Amino acid sequence: MSYKPFDADALIEATAPLLQLQIAQDYRPGVKQNLKTAAKMAALVLQVKLPDDTEPAPVYRP
Amino acid sequence: MTPSASALEIAESVRDGRVTARSVVEAALSRAHGHNQALDAFTDIVDDRARDRADVIDGLAHGGGDPGPLAGVPFAAKNLYDIAGLTTRAGSKINRGNRPAKADATLIRRLEAAGAILVGACNMDEYAYGFVGENAHDGPSRNPHDLDHMTGGSSAGPAAAVAAGIVPISLGSDTNGSIRVPASFCGLFGLKATYGRLSRAGTFPFVASLDHVGPLGRSARDLALVYDVMQGFDEADPAMTKRPNEPVASRLKHMIPGVRIAMADGYFAGDGVAREAVLHVAKALDVTRVVSIADAHAARAAAFLITMAEGATLHLDRLRNWPGSFDPDVRDRLLAGTLLPAAWVGQSQKLRRHFRENVLKLFDGLDAILVPSTPMTAPLIGQKTAMFGGVEMPLRPHIGIFTQPFSFIGLPVVSVPVWLKGETLPIGVQIIAPPWREDIALRIAHQLETAGIAKAPVAQAFA
Repeated sequence: MSYKPFDADALIEATAPLLQLQIAQDYRPGVKQNLKTAAKMAALVLQVKLPDDTEPAPVYRP
Repeated sequence: MTPSASALEIAESVRDGRVTARSVVEAALSRAHGHNQALDAFTDIVDDRARDRADVIDGLAHGGGDPGPLAGVPFAAKNLYDIAGLTTRAGSKINRGNRPAKADATLIRRLEAAGAILVGACNMDEYAYGFVGENAHDGPSRNPHDLDHMTGGSSAGPAAAVAAGIVPISLGSDTNGSIRVPASFCGLFGLKATYGRLSRAGTFPFVASLDHVGPLGRSARDLALVYDVMQGFDEADPAMTKRPNEPVASRLKHMIPGVRIAMADGYFAGDGVAREAVLHVAKALDVTRVVSIADAHAARAAAFLITMAEGATLHLDRLRNWPGSFDPDVRDRLLAGTLLPAAWVGQSQKLRRHFRENVLKLFDGLDAILVPSTPMTAPLIGQKTAMFGGVEMPLRPHIGIFTQPFSFIGLPVVSVPVWLKGETLPIGVQIIAPPWREDIALRIAHQLETAGIAKAPVAQAFA
C-alpha cells in the first residue's frame, strides 16, 4: 500500500470546521509547520508494531 | 543568612532561635524585589502574606511550639500553582481575566504546614508549553549565571529564583522536562517524582497523562527535605498513588550496597558537553556499564503527540474565542494539536505501556540509569537553532529530547548539576530510577554532591 505525502492543508480544511475553529491565514504557516512535525512524529510512533492486547497506558479505575 | 544558605541551614537556625523567620523572609523579599528587573523571575511577590506567615512561625519558635521541619524557609512557586487571593495565570494573558484562587495548591499548603514561607509566584512559558522560558507577555526569565542566556523552561522563574539565591527551594512542574531542563541550564538539582507521587491539585493543568509537579533546589539534601513533607495521598488529584509515604531525608546518606548503575547509549548518548557530563558523573560513581533503551525515538514522538492533543483539548475554547491573545508560537502548536488524527494519539498511549515495559525489564538488573538532561548548556535568549550531531536544527523542540522519554512513562528522576572544567555554564545529568524509588535517585545525587561532582552554587553576580 502506498501513501500520499502528508497534506497539512487538507487536514486543516477538513477538520478545523468540524471543531468550529477559525484558523486565520496568518496563523496557517505556523500551524502547517507544526502539523508536519507531528506527522513525522506519528510515522515514528506508527512504525512500532504493537500486539492487539497492548493496553493503552491510562487505565480507568472506577 | 546568606543567599547561599540551604533550606536545612535556615530551618535549623530558625528552630534553634539563632535567626528569626521574619529576618530570613525580609532578606528573601528584598532580594526578590532587587533582582527581579534583571531576572524576570517573579510575576507576583507576596510581601504581606510572607511577613504574616513569618511572624506566626517566630511566635511558634519562641513560644515553645514546633515551627516545623522547614521553619522559616522561603520558597517560590511557578505561577500555575494556585495562591489564595491571586489569579493563577499559568504564564498566559487569557487567564488573567479569571477570578483569584480561593485556596492554595496542595503542595504549597503542605510546605507551609511544615513551616516554609511562600514569597512569590514565578514566570513561566505560556501554559507550560515550552522549554525556553521566554514568556511572550511577561518577558524572558534570565539565567543568573549569564543574563544573556535562557533559563530553560517551562519552570523558568522558579529556576532563576533559586540559582540567584533569592530562595533555596522552588516549586515547578514537569510534563516533558520542565523541571529538569531549567535545572540543567541554571545549574540546580531538580526532582521529578514518580507520576502520581506528588499532588497536582490546585495547579493549572497542561497534559493530564504526563503532568508532574516537584521541587528545584541547590542540594539533593534540600530536595529530600521538601519532598518528604510534600508526599501523601490527595483525593483531589485523580492520578495520585495510595502508597504510604516513603521518606528519604533520613536515609540519604545510606548508599545502597552494590548499587547497579549504567549509562544509556544510542539515542541517549549525547555529544559534546552533554556526553562529557555523563562520563564525568559515571567516572565518579565507578560506572562502566552501558545499556540500550529500545524505541526511545518513538517514545519521545509519542510524548510529543499526546502533549499536542491533550494540550489542545484543554485549550479548545480559548483557541476558538481568543486565538490572538496567546503567545503566537504556543497558539500554533495548540491549533495543530486540535487536528491530530485519533489513531496517532491512541497508538501513542499504547506505545506508552510498551515503552514502560521495555524500560522496566532493564531495571530487573539495574538500580539507576544516567543520561544527559539537555543536549547543550543554556542557549542564548532568542536563539532559534543549534547544532545537533553536526547538523543545524530548530532549537526548541530538541531541548527536551532526553527528558521526554522518562516523563512519558512517569519514572522518578533527579537532575544533578555538573560544571565541566573550562565551561562557564552548567549542564545537568539525569539519574533515572525505577517507579517509586525516588530514594535511589536522591541518594545517588547526594553521593555526587558529597563528592563535589554535582554542585549548585548561587550565581556569582548574585552571591
